[in-house]
Amino acid sequence: MSGTTRIAGGLLAAALVIGVAGCGSSKSPTASGGEPATGTPTKGGTLTVLSNQDFSHLDPTRNWTMPHMDFGIRLLYRTLTTFKSEPGAAGAEVVPDMATDLGTPSQGGKVWKFTLKDGLKYEDGTPIVADDIKYNVERSFAPELPGGPNYAQVYLAGGDKYKGPLKGERLKSIETPDDKTIIFKLKRPVAEFSSTVTLPTFAPVPKAKEAGAQYDNRPFSSGPYKIETYDRGKELVLVRNEHWDPATDTVRKALPDKIVVKQGLRQSVIDDRLIDSRGDDENALTYSDVSAASLAKILPKPETRARLISEISGCTDMLGFNTTKAPFDDPKVRQAVHFALDKQALQTAEGGPDMAEIATAYLPPALSGGQAQDVYGLPQTGDVEKAKALLGGKTLDVGMTISTGDKLVGEAVQSSLKRVGINVTLNPVDPSVYYDTIGDTAKTPDMFIYGWCPDYPSGATFLPMIFDSRTIVEKGNSGNVWQFKDKAVDAKIDEIQAMTDGDAANKAWVELDKQIMEASPAVPFMWKKKPLLVGKGITGAYGHPVWSGQLDYATLGVKQK
Amino acid sequence: MIVYLAKRIAAVVGILLVICAVTFVIFYVVPSDPAIQACGKTCTPERVAEVRAQMGLDKPVWEQFGVYVVGIFAGRTLGAGIECGIPCFGFSYQNSLPVWDLLVDRLGTSVSLAIGAAVLWLIVGLTVGIISALRQGTALDRTLMIATLTSASLPVYFVAMLLLLFVVRIAEILPYPAYVELAEDPVAWASNLILPWFTLAALYAAMYARLSRAQMIETMSEPYIRTARAKGLPERTVVVKHGMRAAMTPIVTIFGMDLGGLLAGAMITETVFGLPGIGRLAYDGIVKADQPVILGTTLLAAFFIVIANLVVDLVYAVIDPRVRYS
Repeated sequence: MSGTTRIAGGLLAAALVIGVAGCGSSKSPTASGGEPATGTPTKGGTLTVLSNQDFSHLDPTRNWTMPHMDFGIRLLYRTLTTFKSEPGAAGAEVVPDMATDLGTPSQGGKVWKFTLKDGLKYEDGTPIVADDIKYNVERSFAPELPGGPNYAQVYLAGGDKYKGPLKGERLKSIETPDDKTIIFKLKRPVAEFSSTVTLPTFAPVPKAKEAGAQYDNRPFSSGPYKIETYDRGKELVLVRNEHWDPATDTVRKALPDKIVVKQGLRQSVIDDRLIDSRGDDENALTYSDVSAASLAKILPKPETRARLISEISGCTDMLGFNTTKAPFDDPKVRQAVHFALDKQALQTAEGGPDMAEIATAYLPPALSGGQAQDVYGLPQTGDVEKAKALLGGKTLDVGMTISTGDKLVGEAVQSSLKRVGINVTLNPVDPSVYYDTIGDTAKTPDMFIYGWCPDYPSGATFLPMIFDSRTIVEKGNSGNVWQFKDKAVDAKIDEIQAMTDGDAANKAWVELDKQIMEASPAVPFMWKKKPLLVGKGITGAYGHPVWSGQLDYATLGVKQK
Repeated sequence: MIVYLAKRIAAVVGILLVICAVTFVIFYVVPSDPAIQACGKTCTPERVAEVRAQMGLDKPVWEQFGVYVVGIFAGRTLGAGIECGIPCFGFSYQNSLPVWDLLVDRLGTSVSLAIGAAVLWLIVGLTVGIISALRQGTALDRTLMIATLTSASLPVYFVAMLLLLFVVRIAEILPYPAYVELAEDPVAWASNLILPWFTLAALYAAMYARLSRAQMIETMSEPYIRTARAKGLPERTVVVKHGMRAAMTPIVTIFGMDLGGLLAGAMITETVFGLPGIGRLAYDGIVKADQPVILGTTLLAAFFIVIANLVVDLVYAVIDPRVRYS
């Protein structure tokens, strides 16, 4: 899910967050005013979504960024399993979607079998068969269709050399003995494979509808809505898929008759329209985050505040170091920065407690049993004396590359570290080249800001992605951008990934988080919130704990006038 | 005339090729890699290389350039069997559409915006400029010139925000602008474009007023104007037929350039009002580093400007009989 912020071009987690189930102040994913921004759900009407952007991808093979993933999965296509459409911790529960159950593992979790429900149909009434899911998973291997989740490539046996089905080749490690059964043969045990198949990679695509890269413009619906028109960058209109059977779907409420997404609007205009909430805008909501400037207009008024959904982030923003060269090849120096950082100042730079919570671990609370871990137990403003002691009286001159949108955060880091004798020179770069800059191992700056969002509530989608030294590549390096190499950490990752007990694995990820925190290749500093405003007529609105704190499109409706 | 026209058209093609080559080279040296961007996160180098090959980015830049130019005239087939018809300006992997389709789709908005604004600024700007020139030194002249200076000083985005605040949010006279096709609903088309037209016209009308005033003052002091008056011609004829016609030549030149530029998108106005035009497409392309889109919008802008210049040169002869093609 980090991909969207790459497009946004700023701090990875600047715009997108994953809601955290049962975390601190946001246990109840309500509007900031305390009451849920929701009325009595009723069927019918037109829901308008006001957006400042086009969808990066709607093709389920390529859809890996939020909020597009939420939108696609909840409205256009179904997956083998999915997350409950409920606020708070309950929303993180995986439930069957197209499958009858959460899958049956065998051979110690190396083989997973799913059976499809009866009555599953596409928008033209043709039945959905297991081979259609296999076909879509295979598409995720095709270089012609890049950008989507790569879990199938990582997990499936024989995936190393497979190049997708577009030239006719099929993948043998996915078996479909009949139309209702699909069997995945994995390279190694994957305890949380029931969660993995919530990803859009595991939605069906009928081979007859294959359109290569242009399938993006007209995905064939297996969900409650189908595309009536899609004029890219302008407008998407969804109408009911009359062949979707609610009896087969316990998650999607499909309340509005029609959903219209108006794209390319300026965010400040969207905010003003929703604050006013007049006419058709009563039944409208924002697709992307409310701008920081608009919050000043929303928060003071109880009426608008009650319509603000502000779910906590599951993404962790981090201050990263280039661990391959001095001075940050020395763990003591990295720890000194950890102690010196004034996270309260950074929180202020991010918009204050209404916009962000201070992070004390890499794993967001949803991935560590609902409780934030805090290895160092530092004051929010840091511990200057301990930091100075770690530095042993040395003063340092270092550079920090930031995206131009992160100027305030960069300056807060600069001020923090100056207190302990670390002089930081800020090097702002254009957002469009930020990730290319820090992803080039030959040019990785001394310090930089980076973030990571889990794809589903499992440490397996977080720590291995950003701390496994075997994932480092010379150019286009993402994830382990700090080039952190620790054989003990790599071995521990292998050990946890081999576990077949999901709960034990989750506990082990938390322990590994602590272990890495002590080496401090990066300093976690913020879990952001996702501020979204809805019109006065919107019902069933809450930030979903898994979908980046994004509104759950499965439950949204509009009041009937 | 025909020889002149042929030479000018050849020059237009040459200029567009040079612009195309320069833009290509710029993209080649910038650090952003479209293949890495398209590949998504945690992409292996092998996977990036495969994606790069699919996008045709593994070829030398001169070869890519050649394929691109040939594709404009002959079309081409891209990776994954994507057919890019004539004229093929490349394929936007971020929009999953050929660039030409995107340009055509957005052109209507930009043309509607540019033509409407141009009509408005010509009427207001020339009227104000001529009145000021004919009333030079009076209180009316000074008032109009202060007003035009103020209008020209306000940035486009500021005028847009003011109009949105007062006309839409407070007075509720007009809805928030949203582009409607002219053929679909002409009234809605016009009412949704009124604010963007006024925003653009506010800037240009002020400049045209000052320019036309200066030109008219200079022209009206020419000896042939005195002669015309001495011959007893009515003042209206002197001003309109002899004064304005001569004063128009430099204004037509500027107008051609301005209109040509705007036809290829008024980036700020379209972005502020959320209008899906070429300017907005270019803006999104820049933000997302969508190189084929940036290249396509750049070429389209260059095309409109050079064509507008050509048209202006041809129109000169109509306005000013002294001009001869050679």
